[in-house]
Amino acid sequence: MSNVDILLVILRVSFGAFVPLCFIAVLVWMERRGAGFFQDRSGPNRANIFGFRAAGLVQNLADAAKLIFKEDVVPGHIKHKFYFIFAPAIVFFTAVASFAVVPFADTLVIGDKSYVMQAIPTDVGILWFLALAGFAVYGIILAGWASTNKYGMLGGLRAAAQVISYEIPMGLALVSLLAVYGTVNLSEMAQFQGQLLFGFIPMWGVILQPLGLIIFVVAAFAEANRTPFDLAEGESELVAGFHVEYSAMKFAVFFMGEYVAMFTSSAIIVTLFFGGYQIPWLNTETLVVYAKPVAVVLMLLLPVLMYYFAGWIRKSNVSHYDRPNDPRRREAAVYIKILWGVVAIMELILLAILLSPSGGVATRIFVAELQIATFLLKTTLMCFVYVWVRWTLPRFRYDQLQKLGWQTLLPLSLLNIFITGAVVVAVS
Amino acid sequence: MSAKVKVVKRKGDTLPEKLYLVEVLKGMKTSFGHFWRNLRDNSRLYVRHYPEQQPEITPRWRGRHRLTTHEDGSIKCVACFMCQTNCPSRCIMIEAGERLDDRDEKLPVRFDIDLLECIYCGYCVEACPKDAIRMDTGIFSLVEHNREKMLVGLDELAATPGAFTEDDYQKRGL
Repeated sequence: MSNVDILLVILRVSFGAFVPLCFIAVLVWMERRGAGFFQDRSGPNRANIFGFRAAGLVQNLADAAKLIFKEDVVPGHIKHKFYFIFAPAIVFFTAVASFAVVPFADTLVIGDKSYVMQAIPTDVGILWFLALAGFAVYGIILAGWASTNKYGMLGGLRAAAQVISYEIPMGLALVSLLAVYGTVNLSEMAQFQGQLLFGFIPMWGVILQPLGLIIFVVAAFAEANRTPFDLAEGESELVAGFHVEYSAMKFAVFFMGEYVAMFTSSAIIVTLFFGGYQIPWLNTETLVVYAKPVAVVLMLLLPVLMYYFAGWIRKSNVSHYDRPNDPRRREAAVYIKILWGVVAIMELILLAILLSPSGGVATRIFVAELQIATFLLKTTLMCFVYVWVRWTLPRFRYDQLQKLGWQTLLPLSLLNIFITGAVVVAVS
Repeated sequence: MSAKVKVVKRKGDTLPEKLYLVEVLKGMKTSFGHFWRNLRDNSRLYVRHYPEQQPEITPRWRGRHRLTTHEDGSIKCVACFMCQTNCPSRCIMIEAGERLDDRDEKLPVRFDIDLLECIYCGYCVEACPKDAIRMDTGIFSLVEHNREKMLVGLDELAATPGAFTEDDYQKRGL
């Protein structure tokens, strides 16, 4: 193995491991500030370090410090302490590991070698995700059982029943998708979506499988235990459900696992239905050819976007009450300076791309970076949809949940398989 | 005679409503409208920026207690134990002593209120025959580092001024 090989292995594995962890902070922040704005309030905006609040992100640090230093209680009535402590680890580990197969950029070609941009370059693809997502519920069931608490037990049982009900429509929605793509490999699926339908529509899964998208998204919400399907922790009837006996860091691990699961399922939805890392109309080969025009467009676009963003920061980051010598205005000025600095660095990088020989390694890496940015942007938007749905829809009742799963989604996904099968046979 | 029957039409029977997905999208449109408005202009959020902006307290608000005094500064309380007897949470502890200023026979030598026990029901104010205890200080946020400090005594209760004019206080609830 050459040095480049080792470097790329380290880069890919660290991307697969650390990006979900970094997104925990971003998603918790997005959830809390988003919830605030959805409900016409402001969300956490006071925690600060030397007056810098980073739009509320500092609150995450405060919460983390609190959770780390809280007393970690293991109630005396718990007989199986090992399982009780093991359960959050399962939830967290499966959530992080299931991201490992998601491709975040097209296969990188350096010299005569190509590198699949996944943390684990395997052909198992979507089956890995299905296996681990199904396994995550073991953590919840184990937590509910090991708690020796009737609320915890009921929460765990509900989670089990829910996952069994929704795994089936999810799997069947995937079957029709696999019939279209003809592969289980997520990298190949994303490459397939770089094609154009009739020459002008991006061949994304959402265009080819609209019904499949709806079924898959509903099932993915249920799998990630998010509202409107978070019956396993229904406060109104189960206090907190499966994590009612958990405190401090053990609870935090559950909490982080939930957000990583949300990030992972967003990434999977994006990869399956929204073209993964593909920029619409610009697949990898086109991007490599047109790298310089794209760089020029970005060089022009970045300062314009930054100008409007700076204006928005200046308008938003103020105190909305009489305050002499408002420190938030000074804070905003510092943010704007830092962001302009970042823009300047990006402009320099783009300039370097413009000056380097086209079609070389630098261009390939530039294209990979663009695709990573696109992938992260799409995933963030999908995570926003999760937040959006959570603060819009009320929770389902238990019988409504089962009815939706078995009487609506299951027949619909079977219908989808028949239609897709007929069309695929007719076209090929 | 038959009772008047008003037939209320049950909603949610049309096809788009039964599909649920259309209604979900309508709801999401509404909530996104709120999100977008607040993201663009966060000056109109329905919040009070609390520690900096204090809420307006009306004279009817039952805040922390105080003991009222006569014009010459002597305490109005005559240690009749009405408030202590009436208190549902038993947070008032009075010790009576002899009064030597010819206004009455007794005065409290100890008047402790355990604010951790108090439920701020205001029965002590209603029970008082001398208008000696009031809850008009406007203090609503009580934070201390230990339990002992939450036990307020005679001196502190008598020293705290009322937050309203006598006129406003008398008109409360009328």
